[in-house]
Amino acid sequence: MMRNCFSSSIRQTLYPSTSLFKYLQKPHPAKSFPISSSSSCSFPTTTPLFLRPPIHSASFPELKKWQDWAKHLALSVGPKFLESDNGPDADLLCRELKWLLEDVVVDDENATASAASGVVKLRAGLEELYALWRQRIEERRPFQYLVGCEHWRDLVLCVREGVLIPRPETEQIVDLVEEVICEDGGMREGLWVDLGTGSGALSVAIGRLLLDAGRVIATDLSPIAASVAAFNVRRYGLQDKVDVRLGSWFEPLQDVNEKPVGLVSNPPYIPGDHIFGLQAEVARHEPRIALDGGKNGMDALLHICEGAATLLKPGGFFALETNGEKQSEFLVDFMTGKMKGRFRDVRVVSDFAGVHRFVSGFCC
Amino acid sequence: MSSNGYSQINKSSNGYDRFVANSICTRCFSSQGTAVVEQQPKSCDGLTVDSIVSSGWAILEEGEGDWKSHAAGIAQSIQLIKRRLQWRKLRVQLEMLSVELNKPNIWDDPVHAGNISREHGSLLGKMKEVNGFERELLEHIDMLKLAKEENDAELESESMKALLNMRRYVKEKELEALLAGEQDPCSCFIEVQAGAGGTESMDWASMIMNMYKIWANNRGYKVMVVDEMAGEIAGIKRATIKVDGEYAFGYAKAEVGVHRLVRISPFDSGKRRHTSFAAVAVIPILGASSSHFQINESDLRIERFRAGGAGGQHVNTTESAVRIIHIPSGVTATCQNERSQHQNKAMAMAVLQSRLDQLEMARQAQLNAQHTQSLTDISWGNQIRTYVLHPYRMVKDLRTNYEVSDPDSVLEGDIDGFILSFLSASLDKDEGNL
Repeated sequence: MMRNCFSSSIRQTLYPSTSLFKYLQKPHPAKSFPISSSSSCSFPTTTPLFLRPPIHSASFPELKKWQDWAKHLALSVGPKFLESDNGPDADLLCRELKWLLEDVVVDDENATASAASGVVKLRAGLEELYALWRQRIEERRPFQYLVGCEHWRDLVLCVREGVLIPRPETEQIVDLVEEVICEDGGMREGLWVDLGTGSGALSVAIGRLLLDAGRVIATDLSPIAASVAAFNVRRYGLQDKVDVRLGSWFEPLQDVNEKPVGLVSNPPYIPGDHIFGLQAEVARHEPRIALDGGKNGMDALLHICEGAATLLKPGGFFALETNGEKQSEFLVDFMTGKMKGRFRDVRVVSDFAGVHRFVSGFCC
Repeated sequence: MSSNGYSQINKSSNGYDRFVANSICTRCFSSQGTAVVEQQPKSCDGLTVDSIVSSGWAILEEGEGDWKSHAAGIAQSIQLIKRRLQWRKLRVQLEMLSVELNKPNIWDDPVHAGNISREHGSLLGKMKEVNGFERELLEHIDMLKLAKEENDAELESESMKALLNMRRYVKEKELEALLAGEQDPCSCFIEVQAGAGGTESMDWASMIMNMYKIWANNRGYKVMVVDEMAGEIAGIKRATIKVDGEYAFGYAKAEVGVHRLVRISPFDSGKRRHTSFAAVAVIPILGASSSHFQINESDLRIERFRAGGAGGQHVNTTESAVRIIHIPSGVTATCQNERSQHQNKAMAMAVLQSRLDQLEMARQAQLNAQHTQSLTDISWGNQIRTYVLHPYRMVKDLRTNYEVSDPDSVLEGDIDGFILSFLSASLDKDEGNL
């Protein structure tokens, strides 16, 4: 009886939604693979919290004290960040705190048993937790770098400094690809390319949609991004399907003879002079190389458009993410004007916030 | 079939049990369809379940009673189960379903036919089980009398043991019969909304929500916060949780209505007494076999909830809440507690589906089905329970008058007493059910 009360009170205080836990524990339904032991796929520098072994522990009151302290710190932010640069407000920070606990507290049968004795098993020491949360609030270090992962679609992608944190908007590119694949089954068996893959988000998600014969080549100029992408690919057991290559845009594809059936990209598109006005989490912590799209933000997008016309198979599909209305209109004009005859069915697709975010179409 | 559950508990099966079981099975097979329920089974000397109940034999504690006490206890349980299953209605329903099933063109619509046939099977199963109990009781009595006549002490003690086992088993079945509704086995969403009165009510709404979270956790259900709109100072304006597990809806539906709190407000510097209200709605999550409201993809508008600024690479946020609007009905659903937009969208879709299912059920409710109200239907006058923390301490259900003098334990999730008393009161009082 006592034990029951206690564990449920922990549940209530620390993490009312326990369902995510189970979901977090299984990286891939079909295959399992070594995560930290094998050096070939070890995570560059620090391992994401949720993948670390639970070698730390704290007493329940100690952990509660940390939680109260962290919550207090979050509440003291109020609307300050929101008003200064559209950053997170106290509500959002409190939710992040809950998720941090989800990643760090071990929730299995053994843990419930040890919780009964007043000890909570952790994947990071209390000292580190204090330091991490201070970084979140005082340095505006992105939450995803703190925990080392981002939940994106139905995936948990590992991230670290040096690689762009995948954005929710970009999830919709996968929806667009899914639509195309549903209409033309052959797309499931061809070659796809993901230019500037970053964490590998698009490649992993598309790799999971393809049949056995389907493949993805992901390219990235940044060695950090390439290694993180490769790590995520392995974590989802897709190493035979998704090939991560180091290099700029189309360069690593020069030895590929097969014409791709599809191309996706979320290239840097922020106009160079906007970079410093960005939200602190982005401007101070995320890699500029993944954000800065040159003078009007179109450098990479135009380069990709031009390359796509010769790279893709006739009838091949493309979907690109842009900065919004101005860029997407410009791209559509460019593709149907200057590059007339090379593309068909070029259209602008809005994201869920109503921003004209994507340009998609087919190669002639 | 009817004797299955019961003979399972009779692990020490012997010749006697086999004999009883066999004789019951034979009867099951020999009687087809609804014919099974038409006749009251009788013992050799003409006893029936009803006559046992009306003979008024004293029902004593399990340990001290004679066979009459056990028999009377069992007969009483059987009657209660019948009442809870709404026996008379059940028979009418079964009759209607049989008529429907016998129509020659029924299989033109295989989905409809499948649903009808499944429902028919499930109702028939329930009735057969209860009829099985009735026959079994009378067989035991016959057997016992026989043993006495023959002076067979061993047979007599075995019969007594069997009666006692049956008494315990049907007692358990009483509880199960409380949750015999079609949607009772479903998981559900529980929604709580603060009434007028600002922070005080919002705090109360979050206390109520917490009560349900702990209750569900203690019952072994999986609890997930789907949507939560925090109050400016404290508490919640409104929240939705998903409660996952068998019979979650069956129990939680007893909580639908307005909950009232009386206490000295911690938010009032003058330390005055305040009354706050919170409304609770419960929506069943229909299983795959139920017919769902068909959602047309093109009728939906999906919006990023609380989107601000340029989005995309400009913004790093963990906020990915999604709102889905079903344009024809105006029904909306929001989810913001998942960690990815994709999953917020999937959860919001599930909530939307359940809300539309519920609307559809409400529309069909004029026909016969029971339904629970959505938050917007619940009038603030529909108070079901009062929680008093000051000047005295008490929680009282206004529907059943069930009361408890320890509000703390109730607010910590100990609400089964209220739920069971409501469920039994709402089914048991209705003698017309028999």
